[in-house]
Amino acid sequence: MSIILETRNLRKEFGALVAVDDVSIRVEKGSFHAIIGPNGAGKTTLFNLLSGNLPPTRGHIFYKEQDITRLPAHRMAHIGIGRSFQITNIFPNLTVFENVRLAAQAVGKDNFRLLSPASRFRRYEERAWEVIRQVGLDERAFMLARTLPHGDQRKLELGMLLAPDPELLLLDEPTAGMAAEQVPELMSLIRRVRETGDKTIMLVEHNMNVVMQASDVITVMHQGAVLAEGTPAEIAANEIVQKAYLGGLYT
Amino acid sequence: MTRLRPHISLLLLLLILALLPFLVGLLDGQSPASMLAGEAGRSKFIQGLMIEIFILAIYAVSYDLILGVAGILSFGHAMFFAVGAYATGILLKSAGWSLGPTLIAVVGLGLAQAILFGVVLARVSGITFALVTLGLAYVFDILIKTRELGEYTGGDVGLQGIPRPDFLNPSDERLRFYYLMLVFAALVYLLYRRFVDSPTGRVCIAARENEERARMLGFNTILFKFVALTMASISAALAGMAYALFQPIVSPEVAGLGFTVEGLLMVLMGGIGALSGPMLGAALFKFMDFYFNKWFGESASFMVGAIYVLIVLFLPYGLVGTWRMRRRDMLAGWEELLERWRKMMG
Repeated sequence: MSIILETRNLRKEFGALVAVDDVSIRVEKGSFHAIIGPNGAGKTTLFNLLSGNLPPTRGHIFYKEQDITRLPAHRMAHIGIGRSFQITNIFPNLTVFENVRLAAQAVGKDNFRLLSPASRFRRYEERAWEVIRQVGLDERAFMLARTLPHGDQRKLELGMLLAPDPELLLLDEPTAGMAAEQVPELMSLIRRVRETGDKTIMLVEHNMNVVMQASDVITVMHQGAVLAEGTPAEIAANEIVQKAYLGGLYT
Repeated sequence: MTRLRPHISLLLLLLILALLPFLVGLLDGQSPASMLAGEAGRSKFIQGLMIEIFILAIYAVSYDLILGVAGILSFGHAMFFAVGAYATGILLKSAGWSLGPTLIAVVGLGLAQAILFGVVLARVSGITFALVTLGLAYVFDILIKTRELGEYTGGDVGLQGIPRPDFLNPSDERLRFYYLMLVFAALVYLLYRRFVDSPTGRVCIAARENEERARMLGFNTILFKFVALTMASISAALAGMAYALFQPIVSPEVAGLGFTVEGLLMVLMGGIGALSGPMLGAALFKFMDFYFNKWFGESASFMVGAIYVLIVLFLPYGLVGTWRMRRRDMLAGWEELLERWRKMMG
């Protein structure tokens, strides 16, 4: 098995606060790799570093053996890294269709066709429809994104992530704020995406059921650092994890 | 024909504007031959007013492209216009250039100032960018008024006596100038509308809505904004050139903050982001400016101010913007009314 993403001593400081403390992880190609930990453990900051949203204070990130530590955020989609956000991050005043179509257009080569109507570039529209059907929003395609109920906005977020067909998906709490009965539907969708497309998925999630069922590898973070790593069974049996995680949840 | 249908209202408007000089002349009892000869009369006067409107409409729509479409807050738009106006005046008068090279130079300068603003935009955004543009425009305003450059710019008085080629002299060849400006304004509008619907324009809109997300999708948003900035800058500079040729005086007022604010009012009255709205706003602005002064004398600015306030209060999306949002409601309302009538008729 080859390594698709690797961090070496990745560190992010905000003043005196060490949000990510020398994190070294390796993500295997094709794996489902979850990052868990109590609030404030540095999971989302780690994702922000991986997706180029924040520059690290120290350390390196390698994607397919290339150093991408200083790559700007807008390059990530082009090399096959896609990311979704914990807090829904869409274009609220555009239609669902246009949101997804833009995501498909982004990785194409027609971004600077100034004087041709966007509808002439059929492949992006076709790709958008494909993804919209996949996430089950086809009946709401022409609604403005901001008018969608929260659960559908999460699906849209996923659709925008899938449209450019990334190899590595960084999912930041995809089920956040979703009604409990919608969670299995979303997770089976994510699982299907992975199985059909040979994707690697990194997931930050608080829902332990989801994590335990879906993951191959779990990395536990605590106060910015990696506390433990292993298969779901190993993590469940790990006493230190139990203490730290439960302690974090209840204090 | 189906392809033409969405453009019907535009074609109708162009037709009316093309016939306007003759319609006004006929109503006034002027013969077409006299009109073609460019003799004085109401038609010639209206042509002059409309030429100014076309020029202001290009100025307003170019402001709308960066403000309303790309979402770039800039307070330096008067400079975009003034650079074209002053360059035209100086090159034609002091440098003795002919019209062709001057045109190329104005386009070049339009590009240069877009690059200047683009370099700033790559570093700062939002209100900081707005303040920097305000500063840049202010420096330009001071520069053209300095005594040291007075020989070229005319200082406080402005640039006067710009020589114009005979075939474009607006006093003798006003009808020709009128049609040239009409075509110019129509072309800018069509070009912009196409741009807004293009892949590039769609990204500008997305960046306006949520720039961080657009960047995360893989768009280097600064490049897209730069394209919009360049289009706006060049068209505003060309509008400035037309202004210098038409007047043929360039007053330093066109470089002042006041003119930027006027552009902003045209955009807001017509409807920000609506393209056709700001062009309509420019027409309204010019008509109010002219007729209110004629009718109300000194209290004209009070009346104009009151209308601005009313429009902003009651039509927050401007004339065209609000119309677009309300049209469906109004159609539904009309249908209901008709239905009621039908019932009343039995």
